Amino acid sequence: MAKKIGVYVCECGTNIAEKVDINRVLTAVSPLKDVEVAQRYKLLCSGEGQDYLKQSIEEHNLTHMVVAACSPKQHELTFMNVCEKAGLNPYLFQLVNIREQCAWVTPDGEDATNKAIRQIRAAISRVHYHTALEKKEIECSPDVLVIGGGIAGIKASQLLATPERKAYLVEKTSSLGGKVRSFSKLFTNMESGLRLVEQEVESLQQNENIEVLTESEVEEILGFLGNFEVKVVNKAKDKELKFNVGAVVVATGFELFDPKGLPQYGYGKLDDVYTSLEFEEMSIADGHTKGKILLKNGKPPESVAIIHCVGREEKGYCSKVCCLYSLKFDRMLKSQLPGVKISHFYSDLCLPGKSYQRFYEDTKEIGATFIRSAKTGVTGNEKGLTIDYETEAGSKGNSAADMVILLPAMENSSDAQKFAEMLKIPLDEKNFFVEEHQLLSPVASAVEGVFVIGCARGPQSISESIVQSEAVAGKILSILVPGKKLELEARTSEISESFCTGCKTCIDVCPYGAITFNEARRISVVNQVLCHGCGNCAAACPSGAATLKHFTFPQIYQELAGVLRQECREKNRECNRKLI
Amino acid sequence: MSDNKQGATFPAEGGVREGSLDFIRQALSQGCFDAVLIPAKMPLSDSFAYALIEDESLLKDAYPLCPIMTVQGARVISALTRRGKGKKVLSAWLRPCEVRATVELSKLGQINLENIILISIDCPGVLPLADWAKEPEKTESAFSELVKGIDIEGVRPICQICDKFSATGGEDLHIGTIGMQDSLLLIPNSPKGRSILDNLGLQAAPDISDWQSQVDALTADRKKKREQAHKELESRAKGLDNLLHTFSTCINCHNCMRVCPICYCRQCFFDSDNSKFPFEDYLVRAEAAGGLRLPPETLLFHIGRMLHMSLSCVSCGACEDACPTSIPVAQVFSLVGSKNQKAFDYVPGRSADEPLPLRVYQDREFEEVEQSGARAPAPEET
Amino acid sequence: MNSETEMDNKGQSSPVLVIGAGVAGIEASLLLANAGRKVYLVEKASYTGGNVIKLEEVFPNMECATCMIAPKQQELLQNENIKLLRLSQVEAVSGSLGDFTVKVKQKASYINSENCLGCSECFAPCPVEVDNEFEEGLSKRKAIYVPCAGALPNVPVIDTENCLRFKGQECQACQEACLLEAIDYTQQDEELEIKVGAIIIATGFKSFDPSGISQYGYKKFDNVYSAMEVERLLASNGPTQGQLILRNGEPPKSVAIIHCVGREGKGYCSSVCCMASLKLSHFMKNKLPDIKITQFYSDLCIPGKSYQKFYQEVKERGVEFIRAEVTEVSASGKETAVKYKTDEGKEDTLAVDMVILNPALEPQANSSELAKILNIPQGKDGFFSEKEPDLTSIATAQDGIFIAGCAQSPKDITETVAEAEATVGRILSLSR
Repeated sequence: MAKKIGVYVCECGTNIAEKVDINRVLTAVSPLKDVEVAQRYKLLCSGEGQDYLKQSIEEHNLTHMVVAACSPKQHELTFMNVCEKAGLNPYLFQLVNIREQCAWVTPDGEDATNKAIRQIRAAISRVHYHTALEKKEIECSPDVLVIGGGIAGIKASQLLATPERKAYLVEKTSSLGGKVRSFSKLFTNMESGLRLVEQEVESLQQNENIEVLTESEVEEILGFLGNFEVKVVNKAKDKELKFNVGAVVVATGFELFDPKGLPQYGYGKLDDVYTSLEFEEMSIADGHTKGKILLKNGKPPESVAIIHCVGREEKGYCSKVCCLYSLKFDRMLKSQLPGVKISHFYSDLCLPGKSYQRFYEDTKEIGATFIRSAKTGVTGNEKGLTIDYETEAGSKGNSAADMVILLPAMENSSDAQKFAEMLKIPLDEKNFFVEEHQLLSPVASAVEGVFVIGCARGPQSISESIVQSEAVAGKILSILVPGKKLELEARTSEISESFCTGCKTCIDVCPYGAITFNEARRISVVNQVLCHGCGNCAAACPSGAATLKHFTFPQIYQELAGVLRQECREKNRECNRKLI
Repeated sequence: MSDNKQGATFPAEGGVREGSLDFIRQALSQGCFDAVLIPAKMPLSDSFAYALIEDESLLKDAYPLCPIMTVQGARVISALTRRGKGKKVLSAWLRPCEVRATVELSKLGQINLENIILISIDCPGVLPLADWAKEPEKTESAFSELVKGIDIEGVRPICQICDKFSATGGEDLHIGTIGMQDSLLLIPNSPKGRSILDNLGLQAAPDISDWQSQVDALTADRKKKREQAHKELESRAKGLDNLLHTFSTCINCHNCMRVCPICYCRQCFFDSDNSKFPFEDYLVRAEAAGGLRLPPETLLFHIGRMLHMSLSCVSCGACEDACPTSIPVAQVFSLVGSKNQKAFDYVPGRSADEPLPLRVYQDREFEEVEQSGARAPAPEET
Repeated sequence: MNSETEMDNKGQSSPVLVIGAGVAGIEASLLLANAGRKVYLVEKASYTGGNVIKLEEVFPNMECATCMIAPKQQELLQNENIKLLRLSQVEAVSGSLGDFTVKVKQKASYINSENCLGCSECFAPCPVEVDNEFEEGLSKRKAIYVPCAGALPNVPVIDTENCLRFKGQECQACQEACLLEAIDYTQQDEELEIKVGAIIIATGFKSFDPSGISQYGYKKFDNVYSAMEVERLLASNGPTQGQLILRNGEPPKSVAIIHCVGREGKGYCSSVCCMASLKLSHFMKNKLPDIKITQFYSDLCIPGKSYQKFYQEVKERGVEFIRAEVTEVSASGKETAVKYKTDEGKEDTLAVDMVILNPALEPQANSSELAKILNIPQGKDGFFSEKEPDLTSIATAQDGIFIAGCAQSPKDITETVAEAEATVGRILSLSR
């Protein structure tokens, strides 16, 4: 079918017109191959301008359109809509930026005009090779799977579950509440963690739209945003449950670094050296000591040493909340044992935000000593424990204590690797899940439809975890609206079955996990729903088996050739004389 | 290189060839593997080719150290395992560069190493294919003299500067021959290799320093020669004009790409439709330049191929043997390959677990380029 | 939480008011708009982007802040569900969750934004020159201006306090220069009344002014700078086009960065300054590789999985860290001297070319008024108070009014964005 390209140059008020000689441009481009009409207009983005374009497309029966105006970021969508209204596929259109990329940055008018001509010639060359693309929509399930029944998972389920949207909360142990369940007190209000959990669980159980699956584990998740197929197994009852969801929220929480690997602290060897979690468990009312803080010999301690940053050097990061909950420990200790002597051995105090410094100062007044120590070690004999410390200046000292509480680094849970593989979401070098964008998209992962909240993405406080539960609700409620279809990116990548050799280079470079390997046919296949059209695969594939729609090799080549042809002709550059 | 390496000695009174074939016969009869892939002399001709041998009586035609490189061994293994691993265990008798290429291809999904045992042997190099083709008998006897020592005169230029002629890290079992009188040194490098020794009842002794020190000395010498050769080549081939001169006799046969083990594409980009345009496009280019060499993109093909495969280039030289107009393709590619690999601290073929550098995302990389504030020179500056 | 679920039908899908178009406000607005909700985004200044838009690079990945935010700013301007009211402030609020009535005063910009194409022809002819607040006073602007190159929306504003015409004199220079009839002196301030279902406070922070603490010599000595001033110096669209040069035009060979300026008086840690100091060091080392940098700090606040690695990298580049209190900054000639005392009591002095003060983050100047208007409590520090501090930072005592970002407490961009998304999560889950 013969092509009919319409070329329209926008004056953009005076912005383009006063620098670029538009008439000369029109004269230069009109005779080009398949150009049916070439016209100028004062302001194409205005209402009248858009109507004018629509009429012109229809009048001339155009098959393609090129508009030379401002930045695509500003009006590409505008003109694509005009195409659609005029019955022209919006991808048979190219917008050339002769404002920001030409008129505004080229001082000399003649230069600017020449440049504009080259840019428009390039677009005309390119648009010849455009193909019509269809926008696709898919049905999606509004339901959500939340993995992990700790405080983050509980809160997320509560916010997401409605009569039109079910939340499945899967927890591998027999009870909900995660670590917070074992905290007899929370900083800074010193209220009960257990009670908080009980309240939340009660309200959760009253919500008919949340299905709680305890003693269960997620075995398999297949699919993509809007259409995940989930398989959950209840180990205790040996039952399997399958269901569909639209989004997955990973809230698998944290574990503590095991100090056994650091012999200088004597953990596991000396009596009465505890980790913070062990101390918490000792302090809860229905613990093995009925909430009494006791040494192994059954007596309450008279002096306690709290050692910060255990494992920090090995892990390479600060776990954020330990300084704060150690202050909580001070208060717990002093409230039960008013005479107890407490010493902290720390490197830097981490108290960010408006309230934590005051919490520290108030706690100090209750009676605790803080010793800045670069190297701390614990030794023990029948008389008790000795803490050896060394200041930054190098002076050494020691201090006796009955009980030592270690504050170990927070790590990702042991399930992290399993979910990283199952969901194709990467773990960083510190073994925490990687966000879609560290600053602008903290609860989303690189895989669309999969979110990570709470300590699974890094050490943080309960408040921050809850904020993230609310944030993930914000993201999911905004994307997965019941009844609304998901619009997919049309400019996606495709891999030719005949040319793919199965080297999997594309799979390694895809940031969205959108390419899978078909073992039977030994080729890579792009998932059109997950593909964002970034083009990494097309760039990386050495044979050109992977191509990106709307950015194919001929399209880009012709655009470049269009820019350079004129240049070569006019300036007769040396390089080509070499007959390459 | 020699950390905790152990090796077992195997008798080879009749020379390297006899000793190696003995070893293979024993291994076959002990069931270490079901068949062997090894260069053999073709019946009814003077030529050599890789042969798949299950019956040990056919080993009489096998040449563990063959004077020429016919097909790059990695390509053969790729043909055998492209569609998946075999049910039987095959041992592949390869030169070190062929082992390295095999390891690279396994990372690219073209080779399945599961039922393959890679055996390499100290390599003296090979003779240029063209020389062999002209006078096969003369060159064959020259070669067998060559194999006795590790003198390298007469081997291909690319072999003369090879510093990876011994164990490379990717093999399961390496056969050391340098400085070994009347015996071979069998050095296992993986559980597969070790189980062969176990099956044959051979004890590996911890001291292989005699052989190792000779290998190290020779390697150091070759490294120097290599640097020298690269420096000299760089001055001859660097820059557009020099490159055009170097590739001026190229007839676009693409043989170099076809024999290269690393070039695994089903259809080379430069053979595809994407590199073909309507003739008006060519007319425009011709007009702009005053003339256009056809077929076009002669030099661009080589540069493109460098871009695609130089990080995995093992300097095997198959390309140079295949070039009908004697362009020093292998030397140019080996030079570019060495430099690029060094930039990524990457040695192709040293480990099957080492990922290909272009596929690995690094947070901070080439900061010296990123931070240099490098910008395109203004027009006046060119 | 319970009263929110008892909301009546009026609340369903009602518009939302977002106060402040910084990164928190932008993120919340876009997320709400994508969910189909209408948003009124009220911004006091003439531009969007708040404080983040002033930074060239942000930690820890040293990404270009403008490149990061610009697409969002652009999306904001084109999204049909978002109405940006710049030069506007909230004057009164009445009602409750689901049914707030808000009075907004929008100051006239005197520019017709339909006609204006952002060509900037009107700036040159303006005879008035004043300090540019966006550039921390390091460069000048005209009475008709946009705060910096690349500001969005790209529509200027007339500063009536300095414009000759608005001070009673005859001047039409800008109008004469405009070929699109975009300058309209007859524009009036407007009072708008809007009905919304929920309100998000995202007013952000401002930097504490160190000139009140004489020992640091700020505004006394030429070579003592605040961190924000240095951010503008390093910015490619800033007063020196990104060149790190002192007021005398020369690049500094040595720099001292002082942490915790104002912390003692404030009584809190501003959370992000240690990281910001590290970022500045990294950036300055890139610009001037031989520069010698010394940081004076009390406790290093680098929490979370990625910050310590950044600290290690900066240290490896040769930046020195001295744990000490700075007792006095003095200057004589080109040399500026930093007198300090370590924890152990050792006193010493370091001579440098440049001193950078990293001051505390505090709430915006009009926070108290806003707190009264919205009837929500403020802490003694001026930050808006959350209802349940240990359980979430975004809900206030008033149902339907939420806070996100530094308006609640100093924090980094990641936490700010999470809070913005969280406020949207709470609002969207209200409508059943």
